[in-house]
Amino acid sequence: MSTSRRLDPVLLLALPAVLYLAIIYGVPLMMLLGRSVLSGGTPSLAPFAAFLSDPFSWTVIGNTLRIAVLVTLLCLLIGYPTALALSRARGATQALILVAIILPLSVGVVVKAFAWQIVLRRDGVVSQLMMGLGLWSEPQRLLFTEAGLVIGAANVFVPFMVLPIYSVLKLVDPRLGEAAATLGASPLYRFFKVALPLSLPGIVTGVAFVFSMAASMYVIPNLLIGDRFQTLATLTGRSFLFMRNEQLGSTTAVVLLVLTVAVVVGSAALSKRLGGAS
Amino acid sequence: MSQGFLSVAGAAKTFGAATVLDGVDLAMARGEFVSLLGPSGCGKTTLLRIVAGLMRPDQGRVALDGQDITMLPPHRRDVSVVFQSYALFPHLSVAENVAFGLRARGAPSGEIAPAVRRFLDLVQMGAYAERSIKALSGGQQQRVAVARALVVGPKLLLLDEPFSALDRKLRETMQIDLKRLLREVGTTAIFVTHDQDEALTMSDRIAVMHRGRIEQLDTPAAIYAKPATPFALGFVGLSTRLAGTVTDSTDGIVTVATQAGPLRGPGHFLPGSPVLLGVRPERITLDHGGANRIEAPLADAAFQGARVQLHFQAPPDGQILVETPSLPAAAGPGTSLKMSWAIDDTLVYPAPAEAA
Repeated sequence: MSTSRRLDPVLLLALPAVLYLAIIYGVPLMMLLGRSVLSGGTPSLAPFAAFLSDPFSWTVIGNTLRIAVLVTLLCLLIGYPTALALSRARGATQALILVAIILPLSVGVVVKAFAWQIVLRRDGVVSQLMMGLGLWSEPQRLLFTEAGLVIGAANVFVPFMVLPIYSVLKLVDPRLGEAAATLGASPLYRFFKVALPLSLPGIVTGVAFVFSMAASMYVIPNLLIGDRFQTLATLTGRSFLFMRNEQLGSTTAVVLLVLTVAVVVGSAALSKRLGGAS
Repeated sequence: MSQGFLSVAGAAKTFGAATVLDGVDLAMARGEFVSLLGPSGCGKTTLLRIVAGLMRPDQGRVALDGQDITMLPPHRRDVSVVFQSYALFPHLSVAENVAFGLRARGAPSGEIAPAVRRFLDLVQMGAYAERSIKALSGGQQQRVAVARALVVGPKLLLLDEPFSALDRKLRETMQIDLKRLLREVGTTAIFVTHDQDEALTMSDRIAVMHRGRIEQLDTPAAIYAKPATPFALGFVGLSTRLAGTVTDSTDGIVTVATQAGPLRGPGHFLPGSPVLLGVRPERITLDHGGANRIEAPLADAAFQGARVQLHFQAPPDGQILVETPSLPAAAGPGTSLKMSWAIDDTLVYPAPAEAA
């Protein structure tokens, strides 16, 4: 406490990034915020009231949250075991899994969309597989459905779930699991009482990444589900690009921002509570 | 597999081309404290992990308390481990760490708190129950790890170099505390260490391990007095060592030609055999009263409090070391001194083939 609170000169190294973000992101964001509450020159919350009183807006908000939550859950479900395997793997196996996770990031979304069409259409791979397994009685189209959107989006975002969880898990001492085992803990008990609580920071980061990206994605819904299904992000895009309604666009953008930040901050706080309580 | 509370029979393990355990047998009685002593890479930790169930042997069986546990997973063995790094759960408090094993075994919740308190008191950590693990010193963490391992009442406690991260003074206190605690609780324990002093202080018996085998399994006193192999002689305690060739063998006494002169010792070897002679340094006196007499120039004297350790100039393949209560008057580096010891104090081994 006796040391003076002078700025560490090393912190100045963050200056380029801070300036860059301030100019490229911060200023336009403030302008957007300003536009959303300034109708006709006077500050007012009327645009928000108008937006929130429209039932269609609630459908859009519901769509956005539902898709983002489902994508996040799917990524967590696929990503956590992958991260666990990655943290245990050694040498060539580990390198192979890492490449398999990171390499697809270099393939653009538009290219991926072609793959999804092959997989998700009525006579696609998934449909044929489900028919072959006897789970579906007739071929079904996943393309242009919410399920298809969730599957496709999870495909893009899963690395952002795996990597933060992996980076936390690899720092967890493997002796902890062994110690738990020799104390009489079954594999399931070890997972829920040791590995899972210790990897919570990674889960929170992964969830924050994937949720905010899935809530604000614009290109993927356009390619996978089309105009009939609107989220806050696609509605924002339409407002600016097609409807030329900057007021509505600013309003939807701010609603999306507030929702995303609330969920990310809320989940971090929740996990801190859970981690501290058990 | 009938004999012993713990019995390991023919345990073998290879990693790739390296044979880490080469057919190890070990039998222990209930309540016994056995140390696995050896240099790093001798297989002692591998043997410990096999007994704990953290590793499967390629061959061999492990039985505990009359039950074959070779294929049993670690959580069903009732074998607790204190790890070298302690492996305490960083997200749990001291008390929660100690309670972990009881909770995992589904102990009635009313029994957990009193048991935790009792074992924290036993290791003198009762005042720290609600502390975070990160707030503890190394010695305190070690105590918590011991309490956590013992509270579940294991059939067998395994300790993997638990003192190696502590400074020397603390280590000595902890050794005495741990030995007393284990006697109080009546736990059977295997203690892995590369520190001969630790093994000699704490153990009922010591298993000297070398290259994946147990070279000698005996009481500390017996291993010190009669090391079974040149490795045990060199690893446990200090010794004077001289190489030579047998020239005569009569009535169980061999005469050996060494660069320091002819020396005699008990043994049965054919004349012409290359052998290694060993003598414990405190068995040598600085006079010519014993039957084996040599003379060598003093190289260095190390004062050790109650005793003085004298290093002499020796032939290249040996060493001459003497421990006496005091340094002879007027002796300095280079002074040639007479010394001798009894035939019965001489240890004779076949010359180690691995010299190359």
